[in-house]
Amino acid sequence: MDATTITLMITVSLFLGSLGVVAFIWGLKTGQFDDQEKMMQGVLFDGEEELNDAAKKERKKKESHDEAKKKDT
Amino acid sequence: MIEDGGKHFCCKGCQGVYHLLTEGGLESFYAKKGDTKLTPVAGSQQDLARFDLEGFAKKYVTQTENGFNEISLIIEHIHCAACVWLNEKILHQTEGIIEANINYTDYKAKIIWDPQKIKLSQIIEKIQAIGYDAYAYDPKVAEEKAQKTRRDYYIKMIVAIFATMNVMWLAIAKYFGFFSGMDKDIKFIISTAELVLATPTLFFSGWVFFRGAYFGLKNKIVNMDLLVASGALLIYLYSIYVLFSGIGETYFDSVTMIITFILVGKFLEVLSKKSAGDSLDSLRAHIPDEITVIKGGKEQLLSATEVQKGDLALLKAGDMAIVDGVITEGEASVDESNLTGESKPLFKQTGDRIISGSTCLDSTLTYRVSKDFKNSTLNSLTTLLEEAQNKKPRIEEYTNTLSRYFSATILTLALLTFAGWYLYSGVFEQSFVTAVAVIIIACPCALALATPVATLVGLGVSFKRGILFKEARHIETIAKAKTLLLDKTGTLTYGKPKVVKEQILKEFDRGILAALLADSKHPISKGVFEYLNAAPTQRLDNFKALEAKGLQASFEGKELIGGSKRFLQEMGYTINREFSSSHFIFGIDGEVAAVYELKDKLKEGVKQDLEKIKGYGVTPIMVTGDNAAVAARIAKAVGIEKYYSEQTPTQKADLVQSFHGGVIMAGDGINDSLALSRADIACVMGSGADVSIKVSDVVLLHDSIKNLQEAIGIGKTTYGFIKQNLWLSLLYNAVTIPLAVAGFVIPLVAALSMSLSSLLVVGNSMRIKLKWR
Repeated sequence: MDATTITLMITVSLFLGSLGVVAFIWGLKTGQFDDQEKMMQGVLFDGEEELNDAAKKERKKKESHDEAKKKDT
Repeated sequence: MIEDGGKHFCCKGCQGVYHLLTEGGLESFYAKKGDTKLTPVAGSQQDLARFDLEGFAKKYVTQTENGFNEISLIIEHIHCAACVWLNEKILHQTEGIIEANINYTDYKAKIIWDPQKIKLSQIIEKIQAIGYDAYAYDPKVAEEKAQKTRRDYYIKMIVAIFATMNVMWLAIAKYFGFFSGMDKDIKFIISTAELVLATPTLFFSGWVFFRGAYFGLKNKIVNMDLLVASGALLIYLYSIYVLFSGIGETYFDSVTMIITFILVGKFLEVLSKKSAGDSLDSLRAHIPDEITVIKGGKEQLLSATEVQKGDLALLKAGDMAIVDGVITEGEASVDESNLTGESKPLFKQTGDRIISGSTCLDSTLTYRVSKDFKNSTLNSLTTLLEEAQNKKPRIEEYTNTLSRYFSATILTLALLTFAGWYLYSGVFEQSFVTAVAVIIIACPCALALATPVATLVGLGVSFKRGILFKEARHIETIAKAKTLLLDKTGTLTYGKPKVVKEQILKEFDRGILAALLADSKHPISKGVFEYLNAAPTQRLDNFKALEAKGLQASFEGKELIGGSKRFLQEMGYTINREFSSSHFIFGIDGEVAAVYELKDKLKEGVKQDLEKIKGYGVTPIMVTGDNAAVAARIAKAVGIEKYYSEQTPTQKADLVQSFHGGVIMAGDGINDSLALSRADIACVMGSGADVSIKVSDVVLLHDSIKNLQEAIGIGKTTYGFIKQNLWLSLLYNAVTIPLAVAGFVIPLVAALSMSLSSLLVVGNSMRIKLKWR
């Protein structure tokens, strides 16, 4: 094995590994691991209904925030 | 059973919830909940109007950037994931609620709503309508901060562990090359990769050590952080020099490993410091924060801080007074056990003083407020306690001093080694490497891990048994204690009178007596009711509760009466007996039907547990507000030689201070709080009053002396292991440092043996678990 191959292999594997670490830290920082139970139970609530709910929730949140902004200006 | 459209309901409440859910299209809840059994919906005791009070809002509600309101609630009666789902769903469907998030683990909810569209009381009403209940809580700033620290450490640790894992396999390749030979360029590549991994570990993860060292130096203290930081930095810089000069070996793997190991130790320490606050929120007995005041002939709900001196306030049966005052109208039995520890209720009438913290038991009182909330007895007691708590001795200072000397010694030793070797051999490199080896091998990994790992294991073991240590250092304190002061009522005994003797003089239907007793809040009636264990079967007419005397009613034309001997004599009964203890006499139409004698019963197994506690070298002493005769009886029954009777809360506190060499105080009520706060370590029964839980160091969730005995036992074991760990690590240093100074150890081996010593300490700590299986 020559030096270039080794360099390449080490670089690629370290890069891939760090991707995982970065993703994990992002998850931590956005509070996705704050509630362990929710994560476990999440499997039970992933039907179509729940997806629609989540979308509705997001829309509602956005709308009320927009409304509040309008009032301010 | 109620039948409705082919479905069966146990009560109206459940039926109502079902219809509500069907209307909202949420029937799938019943499928989601699976086999979980729901408790029948009970009406809430909470007054909804309080949620809209200004004082309430000031205390709990915060504003978001967009002008919305935010509150943290604890939702009660949640059993399963489906319950959380239902609550979130209902709240999301409600107009005006912008966000509702419920934590699956501790059932705390964060709700953001638009105050212009919906009122908080309406939100709570929604939650109550589907059979749950909500309480507001104060999300403590300190707790959030602690959580953030924990997360920061966690991220730093993850990065460090990732780097260490990768450095290890690179290092293995290099070690192989060490024996079988390796090309210079390949070695250079591997070392460069190690440098890439070591850099973030040292400067990102290891930043805490640099910061700690800096603050230490600023205060002219040489601490452990300085030792770690300087050691790691020196090796790092030397390795970079080696990498580019090509002479010698690089030690980037040591840098990452040192930082990671010590960081794990620090993280464990941060973790064990996590206060038991989480579990306490739900335990909290709520001190009311509002009060009913009569203004202009009308009843009005005010928050506690708004009440002024001279206001007329109303105290309903079952309520706790939050301000002091003088009764202007009505008479009632008042329970002052919170303040005095006396379990028997007092009879109070017009003109008598009412002290805040006491509970009205059986009727409604009107009283004129004589002190506002800020100066009330209850509030000043609480403030006093908070102040007292900050004055506790900190034993951990000692360990810190030790490590300070240790660090200073090692750094000096390393410096001397370098100077000595340089003078002796004149080779800079060899002297430098030896000095670095000294620092690495002395790296106080094991020393730093010795305490936190053992305490963490100890905390975990005790948590499983329902013992919550609020802080890790309390383990050490409880282990060193020599004296145990015990409160009697509620700690050794149940604190509630229980029937010890029943004497039936005339046959009667127990259901009738149960009906008579059912609504009474008096502890004696409650004790008899519990003993009867019968459901009230009949409806009674003309029911009357005579304050502090007894109960009266009629049933099918017969007169029923129940109460004390004095009361029955007043009513024309002839009783020719003397009673030494509390009693309850039940009479029907002028004839005594039954006599019950009640006593505050001892908790089970108290004697055996106290024996064990004595075995730990702790002397139990009983302190009580009760009279000498009762105290002597109880003390003898449980095998306590020394006791103090007729103690007021302040006397108890003074007593605590008069003992030296580690005092444990165990109690449960507000009356013990002052004494608890003065003790070196305060153990509180989980069912205890809010204030006393606040000042406590250890909370015993199972309410038993067995729990207390285990707490002391686990404390002793854990402390023993901490000492063992410290000896192990010191021994390790004592053996290896001279070797390093003499130049027998290269930094690589030093790093390996350092890891080994850490593992030794961790493994040793795990033995605590074996001992307390």
